[in-house]
This record gives sequence, structure tokens and C-alpha cells, in this order.
Amino acid sequence: MEEARTSWPLKILVLLLFAFLLVPVLVVIPLSFSGENTLRFPPTSWSLRWYGAIFQNQRIMSGFRISATLATLVTILTLAITLPAAYVIVRLRTRGSEFLYNVFTAPLLLPTIVLGLAILIIFAPLGLLGTFTGIALGHLVLTVPYGIRVTATALAGLAVPVEEAAATLGARPLVVFTRITLPLIAPGLLSAAALSFLVSFDELVITLFLAGPRVSTLPFEMFRHLETRSDPLIAAIAVLMIALTLGAVMIVHRTVGLSKSFAGGR
Amino acid sequence: MATAQSAAAGDGAFLSLRGLRKVYTDFVAVENLHLDVPKGELIALLGPSGCGKTTTLRMIAGLASATAGHVMVGGRDITSAPPYDRDMGVVFQSYALFPHMTVAKNIAFGLQMRKVPRAEIDRRVAEAISLVRLNGMEERRPRELSGGQQQRVALARALVIRPSILLFDEPLSNLDAKLRDEMRTEIRDIQQRLGITAVFVTHDQSEALAMCDKVAVLNAGRLEQFGSPIELYEHPANPFVASFVGRVNRLPGTAAGTTVKVGAHDVILPKPMTGAVEVMVRPHRIALGGPSDTAPGANRVTGTISQVAYAGDLVQYGIDVGGTRWFVEQQTTAARPPEVPGTPVSLSWRVEDTLAFPAQG
Ligand SMILES: Nc1ncnc2c1ncn2[C@@H]1O[C@H](COP(=O)(O)OP(=O)(O)O)[C@@H](O)[C@H]1O
Ligand SMILES: [Mg+2]
Repeated sequence: MEEARTSWPLKILVLLLFAFLLVPVLVVIPLSFSGENTLRFPPTSWSLRWYGAIFQNQRIMSGFRISATLATLVTILTLAITLPAAYVIVRLRTRGSEFLYNVFTAPLLLPTIVLGLAILIIFAPLGLLGTFTGIALGHLVLTVPYGIRVTATALAGLAVPVEEAAATLGARPLVVFTRITLPLIAPGLLSAAALSFLVSFDELVITLFLAGPRVSTLPFEMFRHLETRSDPLIAAIAVLMIALTLGAVMIVHRTVGLSKSFAGGR
Repeated sequence: MATAQSAAAGDGAFLSLRGLRKVYTDFVAVENLHLDVPKGELIALLGPSGCGKTTTLRMIAGLASATAGHVMVGGRDITSAPPYDRDMGVVFQSYALFPHMTVAKNIAFGLQMRKVPRAEIDRRVAEAISLVRLNGMEERRPRELSGGQQQRVALARALVIRPSILLFDEPLSNLDAKLRDEMRTEIRDIQQRLGITAVFVTHDQSEALAMCDKVAVLNAGRLEQFGSPIELYEHPANPFVASFVGRVNRLPGTAAGTTVKVGAHDVILPKPMTGAVEVMVRPHRIALGGPSDTAPGANRVTGTISQVAYAGDLVQYGIDVGGTRWFVEQQTTAARPPEVPGTPVSLSWRVEDTLAFPAQG
């Protein structure tokens, strides 16, 4: 491996950028161990009481359960939509496939707030507001584009002759898919799943438009909590969410290598 | 219907292509292709890049559908059979090994698909591995192998299923020259030992001539000539075949009977022709002599050496003959250094080494 030579000014610039991105996140960690009643930095006393308080808070706990269920369901649905869609886009290369790819990934370009409003307008007459189904559908609008991107890249990295070779050796299409295609794009699918789960789990903007008294997600409950109170409870939850995200990223990294899975390599 | 067509096929043909045609939207890639491959023979599909070789091979394998025409194997029409029912082994240009499987698993795949018992799979995989001399590599992944080794795995994987027909798509084009020569001999040897019917796609004429029983020359989707290497080389059907299979000097002339005027020289033809013709002589069939040497009973022209390219085994001369550039190839010997530019020479060759075709256009 050849080591890239970077100049000092560039290194410093990158360092500053990292600091800009990460310092706010890092500040949350000491805050979560605060022994005080308000979000003040730096804390003057330390405790684990706010971590305990999470489990006492019914709304937060209910939000967590709903978010976990929601993210799981959204992830499964995303893969179910993404895999065939990406297959059509990459493999059949029909006239419409590029158009399809653009349509599927377009939501990534729109401001989420615009999307949320649009979804609200469409879902309201359908009676989907304040329902679990409504929020799940709303999240899919965000997760499917990510899923398509990652899965399509993984599929594009798999050479067609490899599948054809299997066919000439006697494998029927379904066998080609399960024995050749699926194992080779599994890293991509795992990345798509991790990404979908995380996007859904911490989604707030669209949820703001769709949540109601019966269903509300963890980020939504955190937001509500913050509106009325400013105690370090939020910091404690934030730290747990950071841990969850890091955990998911680590799993993907360990099994396939992050850069590989997002670049779609094998 | 199938039997009627097979009756029309050539005697003893095992694989027959009957009027095969492939059209991509509005582009004709293969046009009305008829070909009969006898059982146990290795035939080449030879032609320049883009002439439809791969497309033809894919139609035989069932990986591409034929727009029209039929593919027959052993008298049976398989034109619409899917690839997994065709029992053909394919060696792809890119090898197309399964990257997530070991060498042994790659080779075993086709046998597993055929529900061959476990013990027999192990035995046949081991056999195939020693056939292609990959012993000790069983547990490696494709990416841990060299190009030549990957090529051997691809060959073993296609052979182990004992296919009725073996198809190769430029299998040696990604190997370096030395390995390519080795693999040629090896593939030919295995094919003959197993008596397997095979179609070998290549754009390399020396590969086609050296390896194959018969060669089909394709150009722009059409069959130009189908014959043995000797037929193709000594009796090319047209100028395209003459110049694609081996090198030639192409010279315009005007024929009257067996004599044709090429520039200021009279050249004798083996058979009479009239009008505008294209005369062709292969560079290595021409002998160089002194400017006043005579060559009784042979064709002879005189010129001046203008260019010398020494390649070790051969030396190629560019010779100016009355304003036209001729090429002549001579074997080198240690005893005699190559001629130098500016030397006046005579060029002579046997009458039967003179090819002539009616001028085109
Ligand atoms: N899927 C395809 N769609 C459109 N044109 C194609 C396709 N595959 C091949 N062709 C065209 O058909 C011609 C023959 O291709 P091919 O059989 O691959 O040639 P060869 O193998 O002799 O180099 C080429 O001009 C190529 O561009
Ligand atoms: Mg080709």
C-alpha cells in the first residue's frame, strides 16, 4: 500500500472539519453524566441518574418500542422493494430503467420538510395521519432511495457472465439467484439494511407531520420532551442512540468493510 | 419437423446452425448462418472484433435468443431450450468464476446441479483438477489465482459436467503470449483425448489455424468461408478470407487469360481470368534474388528494398516495385545478414502461390 502524502494545511483543514462535525456530539457525552437538573455545560456534579430516568419515562420507553418496531418493519419493506427494483434497473436495462432509478432516488434531493408536507397532504384524506402505517410509509419514502442506491451499486459490481456461467452449468434462475447472486450482493444488502434502520430510527421531520397521540416515535418524544423540559435526560438518550449507530456501523464494517459495501465492491 | 431439418444437415453433423440470425433492435449482428460441426471436432469461429462471434456462441449456449433460425444438437432442435437444459460447457472470456467459492466448489457446482451423489462429485472434481493440473489449489479462491490458473478452473468447471458441447469465447485473450501457446496445446490435447465437440471463438487467425479441425470465418455477421486450415489458407474463397487468414500483398491488375498485368510486370495466374483483378501473394512465399537472377517457370518482378524490419526469426522487407510497396518475409540464418535498404532485388514465387480475385467495387 502506498501512503498518500497530504500537505500540512490540508491536514489541519480536515482536522478542523472533523472538530466542527464531532465536537457538538462529543459535548453530549459528559452532559449525559450530569448530576444536575438542567442542561448546563460543563456539569458541576456527576451521576448516572439520567440514564435511570430514561427507563422511568413511560413516553420515552413507548417511543423507543415504537421506533424499534417501525425501523425493523421499514428495513424489511425497504429490502423487499429495493432488491427487485434494483435488479430491474441494473440487469434488465430496459428503456425505462434509468428513469426508474431517478424517480426512486429523487427524494434524496428534496428538502425533507417539503417531502413531509407533501406526504401530509396526500395522507390526510386517506386517514393515514397519526397511524403506524402512515409513519412507516413516510419513512419508506426516505429509506427506499438509500436502499436502491446501495443495492444497485452492489448488483452492478456483480459481473453478468458469473450468473450466466451458473445457468449453463444447469442452475435454474431461482438457484442462480440464491446460490450466486444473493451471496455476492449480501454485503450490499446488509449495508442497505443498516442504513434503512438508522434512517428510520432517528427520522424526525417527516414524523412531525405524521405522528399523533396514539403513535409517536422516540425522536418525536425526545423533541416533545425538549419543548417542555431541558434536563440532561435528552443527553443520556442521545448517547444511547450514538452507541446504537456506532454498533450498526461496526457490524457492517466487521462483516464487509464499510467502504466496500457502500462502493458496492466485493 | 426437427427430423426433416436434421436430415438436411450435413452428414454426421452433431451441432448444426440452420439460418441463424440475430438482430439487436435495428442492428443485424448475425445473418443467415449455416454451420455443421461433426461430432468430436474442434471448430473455430474466426473474425474481427464485432463480427458476431460472441453473439453466435451465446445463441448456441442459449444465453441469447435467436431472432430466426435453429440450433440443432444431435438432430434435436434446441433453439428455444433455456441454457440450464442445454448441457453445454461454456468457458467465458472473463472466466466468470464464482468469486465466493473455492476452486473445488466452483468445479463441483455443475455436478451439484445435476444431483450427482456426493462421493462421485468428489471423485470427478479431483479428476478434473488433475486434468487441468491444479492439484493443491482446491481450497483457494479465484482471486488468489493467476490468470492462467483461473483459466484452468474455468476449463475444469466446464469439462467436469461432461457436456455434449464445449464452447469457448476467446478464452486465451487475457493471457500473455507464452501462456497462451501453452494453453492452446493443452486445450486441444484435452479436447481430442475426451473426443468432445467444441466451438472455439477467437479473433486470432494463428490460434484458429493451429488448434482447430475446421475454421468458420465470419465478417460483419456473415459466414465468409468454412473449411480446414489448409483450405482457408491455400484456397481462400474471397479477398477478405485471404487477407484475414495470414498476411498478403494485395495488388491491382488487369487479366487476360492466365496473364495479368501488375504495374509494368506480367504475372502468370494458375487459372484464367479476365478484366480487373486483385492479385495476392503471401509475403513468405516470395523468394528474394539478385536483380538479374532468373526464375524459370515462376513469377518474377524486380524492385528496390526500401525498409527492413528484423524480428529474430523473420526479417520483413518493404520493397518498392514500380511505385507499389510489396512485403516479403524471409527466414533468417546466422550465415547471412539481412539485406540493407537501397539494394536492388528480384522477387520470385511459384505460379500456384498466386491468388487472384475479381476486383471489388
Ligand atoms: N446486447 C447488445 N445490444 C446491441 N448490440 C449488441 C449487443 N451485443 C452485441 N452487439 C453488437 O453486435 C455486434 C457483434 O457483437 P459480438 O457478437 O459481441 O462480436 P464479437 O464477439 O465478434 O466481437 C457488435 O457490433 C456489437 O456491438
Ligand atoms: Mg466477443
